[in-house]
Amino acid sequence: MADIDEAVIHMPSQDASAHIDTDLSDETQDFRMLNSISFLTDGSQQSLPKRGEKDFEPNPTLFQADILSASRQAMHNALSYPRLHHPKTQVVGIYSPNGPIPPRSAQKLDTITEESEPSKPAGTDIGVHPDSCVYVPAPKGQYFKSIGQADRWNRVWLLPEEALYLLERGTLDIRWPCSEVGCADDEGTDDSGIPMSLQAAYAAFMGRSGLTSERYSVYTGLRRLGYTIIRAPGWHDAEEGVETSESQQTALEKPQGLGLGIAGVFRQLLQWLYKPGSATTALGPVVGLGIHRSYDDIYQKLSIIPWYDPTASPSPPPPTTPPYRVVFHIYKPSTPFKKSAPPTPDFRLAVVNARTHTTIPTSAQLGALLESTPLDPPVGEKMSRQLYQRLRYGYRNVILAVVDEGVVSYLRIADSAFGKEKLYKQQNTKGNKGPWRPRPKGR
Amino acid sequence: MDIEPTLPIPISYIGGSYFLFSIDAVTYVRREHHICGVLSGTLPQIPQQNVFLGLPLKLMPEEARLLVEKGVACIVDEVKVQKDGMRALMEEDRKKYLRELESQGQHAMRLQHDRKEQQREKALKKIEEKKAAKAKKSAEKQQQEEQPDPVNNEAAAKDPVVDLFAHDHQSSRRSSSATAAPFGTVMGVTPATSYPPLPYEWSAEQKLPLPDVPSSYPLFAHLHSEGYYLSPGLRFGCQYLAYPGDPLRFHSHFLSVSAEWDEELDLMSIVAGGRLGTGVKKGFMIGGAEKKLEGSDAGDPSSVRTFSIEWGGM
Repeated sequence: MADIDEAVIHMPSQDASAHIDTDLSDETQDFRMLNSISFLTDGSQQSLPKRGEKDFEPNPTLFQADILSASRQAMHNALSYPRLHHPKTQVVGIYSPNGPIPPRSAQKLDTITEESEPSKPAGTDIGVHPDSCVYVPAPKGQYFKSIGQADRWNRVWLLPEEALYLLERGTLDIRWPCSEVGCADDEGTDDSGIPMSLQAAYAAFMGRSGLTSERYSVYTGLRRLGYTIIRAPGWHDAEEGVETSESQQTALEKPQGLGLGIAGVFRQLLQWLYKPGSATTALGPVVGLGIHRSYDDIYQKLSIIPWYDPTASPSPPPPTTPPYRVVFHIYKPSTPFKKSAPPTPDFRLAVVNARTHTTIPTSAQLGALLESTPLDPPVGEKMSRQLYQRLRYGYRNVILAVVDEGVVSYLRIADSAFGKEKLYKQQNTKGNKGPWRPRPKGR
Repeated sequence: MDIEPTLPIPISYIGGSYFLFSIDAVTYVRREHHICGVLSGTLPQIPQQNVFLGLPLKLMPEEARLLVEKGVACIVDEVKVQKDGMRALMEEDRKKYLRELESQGQHAMRLQHDRKEQQREKALKKIEEKKAAKAKKSAEKQQQEEQPDPVNNEAAAKDPVVDLFAHDHQSSRRSSSATAAPFGTVMGVTPATSYPPLPYEWSAEQKLPLPDVPSSYPLFAHLHSEGYYLSPGLRFGCQYLAYPGDPLRFHSHFLSVSAEWDEELDLMSIVAGGRLGTGVKKGFMIGGAEKKLEGSDAGDPSSVRTFSIEWGGM
């Protein structure tokens, strides 16, 4: 009986209801679950398998060994699935190891020789990102809606992470250029016809122009989930990408006592005249002398501890230190995205390697990171009603992706403004209590 | 089933990380050496999800080092290998490789065609059977009603027509597919590894020394030598998750954190770890290499001691 009880305890189905919202990707899943998916039929009606049941610990039974070997076989089969390109849908890209270059024909017209300064950042010449390193002469398919940049010759240039992601998911067939494989270019094209293997693509693109494996893990992880993700201005360590949104900042009310102009001084004078007690209370009673007409006045005077106001940003914002710098802009799948004019991102994300940065960032680092993002105050009907939502949402926010050897955790960091939430002013809006009155005795 | 790759297995060092690209190597190190790594690539068959991931397999530096120390793997500077290798590729090899890929592509195409054909035939058969059954039913009905022949004849005449038609359909389709296949419809193939076309051997200058590992390596090696499968522990806020068996089939038992022998530990972190571990039905484990008086060999896995901490919950 005891055995049965124990077995029941370790049955995952027992606590399945308690863990309905567990992230399946948190744990290694049993690849046998994949067998239920019929791969080669069509991709439209595939649903993800359910969480598999696992055993508590190994025992020397043949039964367990068989299941394990079946699992491993299933994993082997799933992983050895080839990346195939049907000729009708095949999209071919060509690797350009020296960055963006004009096509061969245009080069000849301009009488540029083959060897002309490969280090020159030619990207500015043809209007694409200088870090691009793969071009697609005949782009087709839905992916190019949010990926890549087109040049004058209607070729789409891809950044290393974009190219690698598309190759990895079996969408793009990248070819080695003739110049890299040392073959005679007889047809006047760069395409040598040799496809890049996944391994070659990793070797070529990983580590190229700031693409670390941590950043790539984040990029593909979010892409796989359907987000649109693009590089932010702060991608390169040397550059400082600060988004200025002056209009937003000025539109927000400045906290009292900060913008002291002549008008400000005058206002203070008036205030002093009307409420003589509102001056400093460093000496004497905290609330000060005078006539108090409402509790609000008293509370206001009691709040003698200075608080941090996230809406008042120091100008200029402090410099951010890598890796605490926004490197990706992320758009929800529902956000309409236009490649040529990306809208305001839904999320801003910084990538941290947990192996090299083992401690939590300092306040200065976090502060600078938050200052580099534009003001995003909690607005909306829901936010205006719920105090805790407001506090959680904060006035600025950024997402930290912490990566430990391919495992990613996302943390949302928000700049909450507790000082801006005057609880004494909230009291009336609650409405169900009214003014305080003594409780009846005996309770 | 048990494929043995040629040893030593090349571990690709790319941009500061260690990768395995060959599926045979991945299954081999998992089966024989309890090294699981983290699958970090997209599965091409179901690319829009994060539950099941595919090649390449990313290895922790600890895992790479352990494999090298066991002599089953070597670290290869993949960027250099690719660059040199592709440049040095001979014309013949290139052509041979392309031919190989083409035959692979043709094979894949044929497989897909066959599968489609089979499905189509199955579907057609079903329709035929349905029709035949219907015809039979109506015929039986008519016989029961003892109707004169003309209708029966009609049904009988209908049957072969249906058959003929179906056959015609099938054969024409088959012929069309047969003629379509050779017309340049070769699947493009993106291979997972670069061997071939590159030679499966590396010169001394392409090989790299042992990977740098964090100070927690002795604990890692110790737990591994005790038969545990280890994976990065970020999700549970520890250094390594220790599984009693293959993570495919078992839940992890320990959240392990490494410490130096004389390191002062914050009591809070022990409480936090013990509480968290117990909350997720795992034990919190602290371990480190024992410092012996004469001991210069602090990295010896046999000198590692481990302590398991459980939240009492009185």
